[in-house]
Amino acid sequence: MVEVHLYGKLRRFTDNLDPSRDSIILVPHKPNDTIRDIIRRIGIPLEEVGSNLFLNGEYSPLERKVEDNDRLGIFPDDMQMIIV
Amino acid sequence: MSKILRVNMTDLTTKFEDVPEKYRLTGGRGLTSAITCAEVPPTCHPLGPNNKLTFAPGILTATGAPTAGRLSVGGKAPLTGTIKETNAGGMAADKLARLDIKAIIVEGQPKEKGKFWLLKVDKDGAQLMPADEWTGKGLYETYPKLFAKFGKDVGIISIGVAGERLMAMAGVCVNDPEGRPSRYAGRGGMGAVMGSKGLKAIIVDDKGGSGVAIANKDAFNTGRKKLTDALREHAITKPGGTLNTYGTAALVNVINEAGAFPTRNFREGRFEGASKISGETINETCKKRGGVGMTGHRCSPGCIIQCSNVYPKPDGTELVSCQEYESVWSLGADCGIDDLDVTGELIRLCNDYGLDTIEAGVTIGVAMDAGLAKFGDGKKAIELMHEIGKGTPLGHILGNGAEVTARTFGVVRCPTVKGQAMPAYEPRAIKGIGVTYATSTMGADHTSGYTIAPEILGVSGKLDPFTVEKAEVSRNFQYATAFLDTTGHCLFIAFAILDIASGFEGMVEECNGVLGTNWTTDDATRIGGDIVKMERAFNEAAGFTKVDDRLPEFMKYEKLPPHNVVYDVPDAVLDKVHNP
Repeated sequence: MVEVHLYGKLRRFTDNLDPSRDSIILVPHKPNDTIRDIIRRIGIPLEEVGSNLFLNGEYSPLERKVEDNDRLGIFPDDMQMIIV
Repeated sequence: MSKILRVNMTDLTTKFEDVPEKYRLTGGRGLTSAITCAEVPPTCHPLGPNNKLTFAPGILTATGAPTAGRLSVGGKAPLTGTIKETNAGGMAADKLARLDIKAIIVEGQPKEKGKFWLLKVDKDGAQLMPADEWTGKGLYETYPKLFAKFGKDVGIISIGVAGERLMAMAGVCVNDPEGRPSRYAGRGGMGAVMGSKGLKAIIVDDKGGSGVAIANKDAFNTGRKKLTDALREHAITKPGGTLNTYGTAALVNVINEAGAFPTRNFREGRFEGASKISGETINETCKKRGGVGMTGHRCSPGCIIQCSNVYPKPDGTELVSCQEYESVWSLGADCGIDDLDVTGELIRLCNDYGLDTIEAGVTIGVAMDAGLAKFGDGKKAIELMHEIGKGTPLGHILGNGAEVTARTFGVVRCPTVKGQAMPAYEPRAIKGIGVTYATSTMGADHTSGYTIAPEILGVSGKLDPFTVEKAEVSRNFQYATAFLDTTGHCLFIAFAILDIASGFEGMVEECNGVLGTNWTTDDATRIGGDIVKMERAFNEAAGFTKVDDRLPEFMKYEKLPPHNVVYDVPDAVLDKVHNP
């Protein structure tokens, strides 16, 4: 399983919409999965996904390979980030 | 802006001077640092008679340029012993600029210790008057009284009781558009410098002011449009964009997900309670509790990003403005606290007592590490903050910052550089920001070279946060930032101008329009570089060497979870930042 943490409007793909709690969905892992594959499997439209993708805490491109038991954080396109 | 106001606190006199030619084409940080370098002996005691405190609006403040209302506060800093420029939003810079005042230089020291004065500045001149009735009290009590006395439309620059007591975490406070004591030039203890001058407050009444002359209106308008368009287009800065919707605390979840969110005094890089103090939760709570709660609040005139907020209590009345990223982190995650009502109360106390929220939160985190309270104990954190407000002996130790507190209680895990507490980005997980912390002229300061933008946020291309060759990136950001801090623009325009080339051009063209210059974007970087080099020279003359351009030793041997990394950027890379 891949532990996917979703933020902002993408929380609707989990059973938790409350932003004060983590919105997590467990996605079955298949060999050679990339981040893009996981996003497709959840059913998130790619245009709603921003550039802030973190695989095990590392900023990552869509094409990066995902391993079983990885943690993946996905932020939406309207949550490109900030400061101070 | 054609005048400099010089205030002598030794003989309590004020005089206006013409702006010398050498300062004509600068403002903000460029001007405060130039005056500090020219007039302050680098080895002077920061709280002694030979230090000077300079206030300056930016080149573009009050010109109609978007998001350009920053007030720079400069001098030699008690917290770091380095040169310092720290800037704030709020109402005062705009009003100073409208009075055609390019800088206020405060020098000397009153003979009578413990007595405070107030400086009133308006179109007819400047005068000093005793401030006894406004000292010794919280700023939430003092500001309404000052508005009642001087008029509701004045700008206020002041210190709180921490500055009066010369504490090294004391900031300089500026009122926001609704009159709150909430916008701080917080870093470095410049509030203590103001206190050491016996200056409680500056009241700026711009009624009848002449405004800022613009040399070439066409060039200015072209530049302003380019920059405004870029700000309105970029996902981070546009109306309804990330900053406007979630505030700066939108970063909480991102940096936490990146494993770079310093937790419990920099023991860990991920906080299990992060979502409870996130920008999303701030936004949701403002909506749910209603009342005065709002995001998209404007902290200074002419800002089109509007990233501030007003956070409500459960009954909808006001708790505090503003729950910023840095503040909810320092007073939240870094103390193991996951409750916005607690961080809100702690921020309110910082505003009331006149404290830098970053230094205050990191100091309480260090105190918790020392065993003065348990991590996560919000009630005890509030009590410790009251010690500072009351000025008890413990309050004085805490009020002098993280490093003094760590030394007092034998805490080796002290997250400071040159005596200044680190902000909310873990350098072990984001190497480039560590390069900036180590080599900035200001001590550990994320704003002086925000490499987070390319490392995490995908602004201006993308960098791997874990690679160590960050000298050039940090240098370029430090130079560009020094120029930006000179214009009076808020640092947050950086997202748009780094990604959208016409936005950067627009900022430079605005300056050309106001000053009548012909600068290119390359000139902007060069000018920024000259400012940083000048500041470095001050620090060297004050006794700083490359050995001071280092992160604390514990970061080299304590592995930071979840990445389990140490800070491994070689010293040679750090030394290359300013010696390419």
